[in-house]
Amino acid sequence: MPNLPQKKVGIVACSGEEMAEGTVTRLAALKVLEELRPNETVTICLPLFLAGGEGDRAFARFYPTIAVDGCALRCAARATEQYSGKPAASVVVTDIVAERGIGPVAGLRRLNEAGQQAVAETAATVADLVDTLLDKKWSRREGRFLESEPVMQEEAVAKSAASCACGSGIPVQTVQVNGQQVTLIALPPLLAQFKQMGKRPSPETAAELLAQVKIYNDVPDAMESQYQEVLAQEYALFCAEGVAA
Amino acid sequence: MNEKIVIVPCSGIGKTYGTVSREAAYEVIEELRPESAQLVPLSMLVLGEENARAAVAASPAITIDGCKLACATKMVQESGGTIAQDFAVLDVFRRNRKLKPQGIAELNEGGQQLAHALAEEVAAVVDKLNGKVETGDEKLRSSAPCF
Amino acid sequence: MAEFLEYTLDKFTFKVATDRFYNPEGVWAKAEGNQVTVGVSDFFQQRNGDVAFAEVKDVGTAVAANDEFATIETIKVDVELPCPVSGTIAAVNEKLELEAEVINQDPYGEGWLAVIAAANWAADQANLMTPEVYFEHMKVQAQEEAENL
Repeated sequence: MPNLPQKKVGIVACSGEEMAEGTVTRLAALKVLEELRPNETVTICLPLFLAGGEGDRAFARFYPTIAVDGCALRCAARATEQYSGKPAASVVVTDIVAERGIGPVAGLRRLNEAGQQAVAETAATVADLVDTLLDKKWSRREGRFLESEPVMQEEAVAKSAASCACGSGIPVQTVQVNGQQVTLIALPPLLAQFKQMGKRPSPETAAELLAQVKIYNDVPDAMESQYQEVLAQEYALFCAEGVAA
Repeated sequence: MNEKIVIVPCSGIGKTYGTVSREAAYEVIEELRPESAQLVPLSMLVLGEENARAAVAASPAITIDGCKLACATKMVQESGGTIAQDFAVLDVFRRNRKLKPQGIAELNEGGQQLAHALAEEVAAVVDKLNGKVETGDEKLRSSAPCF
Repeated sequence: MAEFLEYTLDKFTFKVATDRFYNPEGVWAKAEGNQVTVGVSDFFQQRNGDVAFAEVKDVGTAVAANDEFATIETIKVDVELPCPVSGTIAAVNEKLELEAEVINQDPYGEGWLAVIAAANWAADQANLMTPEVYFEHMKVQAQEEAENL
């Protein structure tokens, strides 16, 4: 029985190797991942959007992401949007440095004192954003927070930690909606979870399933009834297969 | 030709390999070959940033990959660049078994020594490539590893 | 039965091949007659990281079940592997010498470690875990060790 992964926040650092602010993004991201919010965050490697193929893009679609950029070029935010989906939040180190009156950041390999302060401030900002994102419902499709209702937490995974995107994948399932192939992220574990909860195939169950699917996928408003119909069929099939086996 | 040799390290932050690759790249551009090598950040190549693409188009690139997914090498290729040599940190560790790296934010002693060993290898390739650039000797290009 | 059982935790998916048996440490054994091929599980390779060196005892070496028969070194750890079967090492995967990463790339196929000429496979098999049992065991291990993944 697969677990539905706990909702987490993906951190995408630009890592810009040619400037000290890039070093700040790396160290700030690490601080969040390892110290400040280890159980709520996942690192997403920016280059894996291209080098790692669809699976890695799916990671960033699956999790709300925070882009941490070193400069106004905003490589992490723009590339995440280009190859995956709009980041739920975005921070830029140069902005934080300016806003908080931190001195000039320097030192690619060994940050100066201002750089270390920038790491602390950036990490704290990101950690706050993580908390915000986990408390709110984020719509990737609309690129904004929905109403401020708390997000229903998925079946909790007992314990998890910051980790790298290399070499793994969130289960996906391809279905036909209106004659078009659509890949739905996290559908397999959702089907399994519903079945384990003893939910019988029904229109009500399909509606519940749709609500869960929408957390991880963009479902156009106009297409919701078609999606719900497809999900009803998929769930009935899934349950029937279990019986046959 | 005045273009500096391009070095593109891994930008991963999940494992120690990425840190080793960056530390080596920094050592080359800051200490070993500051006049003849420049660093191009992977994030800019991912974004398709014009200057970064121009840099890899204008000069052979040395890539340093932290893991088997070889992001740096793939991104240079995707950007239309030429890979002069691709290094994998794991292979360098195989050649320097006693230098076991640990740490991501800060490398241990073994990691620093491994990064130094890697930097020396990268610098040697920079020298070979610069020899080729300065002399136009095609034989040198063919004798360089991994062309 | 499906070729693999799959378990997803956080952002990792671990596969357990269903055509072989396992010891608790994640070493698998797949028999053809008394020739038993051994290797490591997908979970083992993901948990321990990219393999830098893999050394298996020489062909002709007698091994007892649970005795160390191979060592794997990754950048993270050095691991001594207990043999899932008693017998004599009949073959060692030559690829391991120069391409130990094959263990990461294909743990259930090209990344095999050795073939053991089993002395009593039936007896050894009885002490190993079926794929289903190992799958459950692995899930617990994965949850416990998620912090290190």
